[in-house]
Amino acid sequence: MLMTEKSYSIRTRMLGRSALLLLSIFLILSLGVWHYARQSANYSYDRLLNSASLSIMEGLHVYGKQVDLDLPYAAFEMMQLADEDKVFYQALGTQGELITGYPDMPLPNEFNEDSAIVFYNAHYLSEEVRVVIRHKRLSEPAVSGWVTVVLAQTLRARHKMMNDILYRSFAVLFGIMACVMIVLWVAINRALEPLSSISKSLASHSLISAKPVQATPIQEVSPLVNAINDYQVQLLSNLAVMKRFIADASHQIRTAQSATQAQLDIASQSENLADLPEHLSKIRKEHERLTRLTNQLLTHAMVVHRGDTVVTEKMDIERVMKQLLTECVRDNAHRMIDFSYQCEQQLPLFMGDSISLREAVRNLLDNAIYYGPEQNQIEICLQMDSSGIDIIIDDAGSGIPIELREKALERFQRLENGLNGSGLGLSIVTSVAEAHGGEFYLEDSPLGGLRARLHFPNEALS
Amino acid sequence: MKLLSILIILLTSKTFAESAALETVRESDKLIIYSATDLNAIESVLEAFKIQNPQIALEYHEFDTQELDQTIRAESLANQPDVVISSAMDLQVRLVNDGYAQPVLGEAVAALPSWANWRNEVIGFTYEPIVFVYNKKAFQGKTVPLTHESLASVMRNEHDFFIHKVGSYDARRSGIGYLVATQDEVTSSISGRLQESLGRARTKVYGHTAILLDDIASGKLLFGYNLLGSYSLGREKRDSRIGVVIPQDYALVVSRAVFISKQAKHVSNAQRFVNFLISKEGQDVIAKKSELVALFPDIDSLVSQQDVQDQTINFHPIPLGPALMVYLDDSKRRRFIKAWENALLPSSSE
Repeated sequence: MLMTEKSYSIRTRMLGRSALLLLSIFLILSLGVWHYARQSANYSYDRLLNSASLSIMEGLHVYGKQVDLDLPYAAFEMMQLADEDKVFYQALGTQGELITGYPDMPLPNEFNEDSAIVFYNAHYLSEEVRVVIRHKRLSEPAVSGWVTVVLAQTLRARHKMMNDILYRSFAVLFGIMACVMIVLWVAINRALEPLSSISKSLASHSLISAKPVQATPIQEVSPLVNAINDYQVQLLSNLAVMKRFIADASHQIRTAQSATQAQLDIASQSENLADLPEHLSKIRKEHERLTRLTNQLLTHAMVVHRGDTVVTEKMDIERVMKQLLTECVRDNAHRMIDFSYQCEQQLPLFMGDSISLREAVRNLLDNAIYYGPEQNQIEICLQMDSSGIDIIIDDAGSGIPIELREKALERFQRLENGLNGSGLGLSIVTSVAEAHGGEFYLEDSPLGGLRARLHFPNEALS
Repeated sequence: MKLLSILIILLTSKTFAESAALETVRESDKLIIYSATDLNAIESVLEAFKIQNPQIALEYHEFDTQELDQTIRAESLANQPDVVISSAMDLQVRLVNDGYAQPVLGEAVAALPSWANWRNEVIGFTYEPIVFVYNKKAFQGKTVPLTHESLASVMRNEHDFFIHKVGSYDARRSGIGYLVATQDEVTSSISGRLQESLGRARTKVYGHTAILLDDIASGKLLFGYNLLGSYSLGREKRDSRIGVVIPQDYALVVSRAVFISKQAKHVSNAQRFVNFLISKEGQDVIAKKSELVALFPDIDSLVSQQDVQDQTINFHPIPLGPALMVYLDDSKRRRFIKAWENALLPSSSE
């Protein structure tokens, strides 16, 4: 597997992202809380301002032909509920003339004559103030018209109340966020716990021992445990195959070696020189068998290795086959074997490992020559259809009976003991076919003997 | 009205020689105080401050309460003093409300009782009960009224004894007089009746406490109503001819209010001075050496000079706050003064 990402801790990442999410929620909520705090502070103190202005309005009376204000003490005591705020006031008569109070109170930007009461913020005597303007219609015989009371208050109590609400809400919000973070921390640790318990049990566990990893009651984790156990079973079976192969191979090599040794011993003890050529020929035969066995073992190892490492290249199958056939014809010129080659279509380039493919076909040809009769007919035929490419080797030999064909594909299985077969040839072909994603079949040949067919599906074509 | 402006640079005898030699005082070492407080009542406090801060040259200007208010409002921004002191709490509050003050910094401010502090900008540093003063000789063998209630009835019953012999502040001219009269109206339900009694007794009105006390001591007056306790108690200690009564039903308490001017040129000196006034040392000096009464007075020592101790006195400190501005409203003031004149000075309105 390629490490395209830097290694990271899932715990840190999950916690970090949760914290980020919580923080953004916190910010959004804070905005809401701020808005709420401002509104409630304004609402509360606007009511205070409203009541006080109402109370002042009550103090406006007509004396003779004059409107006069008897400023009620209660109005200011009410205003003193915001105990740190300055108070400014003004009373205007029906002509807009100043009755009493501060002469230059700030007016609202938009003045709406219709509404009896208006609230607005303004700046007065280098203080930010909240102002209320209240109108009342006087209709006495002497005086009639609208009178106005303007009352203003600085914002200290509002800010204090707003900050109070803000701090409390922030404290609560922060507490909740901290609790959520703690819960998350616990939950994430709990969720990741099986992972560490599995790795702990794996660390103390030998894969080669047949004991499976202990099953877990956690539903989310059991697929992992099952996968590990399946993997272990596969590994163990592969290991067993490997062991058997090594045991078989060493047995074969020892057998051949001891046979050669025996023949050598007999030859060296023989007193009759006339027997020597016969002994030599036997020794040569045994040695040939040993060489062939060694070659095939090495080829097998190579093919398996190349199949594992997937060395592929674009190759021209026709060229490879022709070359092989040429070599084969040259090597077997002394035999009465009739070779032929058949390819009716232009084949596309093939993605594969030319060396192992060569080795596979070569084995098939050798088998056909080796196990076939003296007068044989061998044909290489390349075919292509919608499903893929077939490489077919036909011979006119005795063939293999259908019931034995499957067995013939297993390693170290020789069907005729009389001949020097290693029993590895067909297994090499199978390995190559599998390495290329293809299949290997033994079938009846129209020539009377055996047909060996390698089938490669279209995916292998370039 | 004569402006009582006294410029003094208070110097202890030790530093006198040095300062005289230097002649000029550096501008940054000054502290300009405008105050409506008798210099001899506050002198010891200023001296104690001077000992603590010998480098600061004090400039003390004395005014009466209304003059002080008018001066501050009339003065250009460049000529504002550093510290303003007055017992007319209402006028002080209105100055602060109109933006003439800046906050006093320091921890001592937070420790003040809430009635003695508004916005940290104006601070009460004394505790001066409003008292009755009487001529001891005249009251020999007579019961001295100890409550407003008893005063009202005794004046009604002994009309001939009291007529032309009662004195009080002129609410029209004296800032403290106006404050006390209006607060009487706010606090007490019998103030109307009492004003009527005072009117019937043809009460004489004064602008200054000192003259009022002089007249009581000399026997020209027999009884003084609603006098500033600090000066009266101070005078009582020195002058055996007068007696002081702290009314037992309720005693208004005026606190001398101080603020630092927004345009103060010597802010750090001013901060130091105001913090000194409310510090333990400052309060000790006020309590023991000055004629003023400290913020947390030893009530027993105040009352001990009185004959009756079995009753607790209901002290009613006037809280600093915007409500004090109600009676400063022009229209309200006209109305109040008219009613006051009608009650107290029936002859003049006739």
